Amino acid sequence: MKHIVKILSMVLAVFAFWIGLLQAAIIPPSYTWLVISTLLIYTVVSLGCYGLLMVGIGLMQFPTCPQEAFLLQQDIVEAKDFFKHKGVDVGSD
Amino acid sequence: MELADLAVGLLLSSISLSIFTYYTFWVIILPFVDSDHFIHKYFLPQDYAILVPVFAGVTLLSLLSVFIGMVMLKSKKKKA
Repeated sequence: MKHIVKILSMVLAVFAFWIGLLQAAIIPPSYTWLVISTLLIYTVVSLGCYGLLMVGIGLMQFPTCPQEAFLLQQDIVEAKDFFKHKGVDVGSD
Repeated sequence: MELADLAVGLLLSSISLSIFTYYTFWVIILPFVDSDHFIHKYFLPQDYAILVPVFAGVTLLSLLSVFIGMVMLKSKKKKA
């Protein structure tokens, strides 16, 4: 819980700094709503991007273990044989 | 095979990174750039920076709810 609070306060500090910078550069009379909504949408978009990136990286690093796959196929054949002799219907799927 | 996984993973990561950099540039850096800099040619007007994600999010939500509704209807029909 403390971790999240720390991270949230850091993010808020960065945003406040950016808003301050913006107000120094452009003097907005009633831009506040626009700025805050833009920041919110930016947060959501960056969260989505981060999720996509993690999925992509996980895909790239996924191990396939071909030996284990072969052993698994052997196990399946063995199990099918066993059950066929016991009388269970193991039709091909 | 791992090659297909690698290709799809690379594609996904590159898409997400490019969207992130483009959007960051658009929203955060461009307001501080003078309006007669050449870089503004490569970015749509700032109002679109809000409209496009909101529109995409609304489309995604409606597609999701349509999908869920269809699945619910199909399951109800199968039971009855």
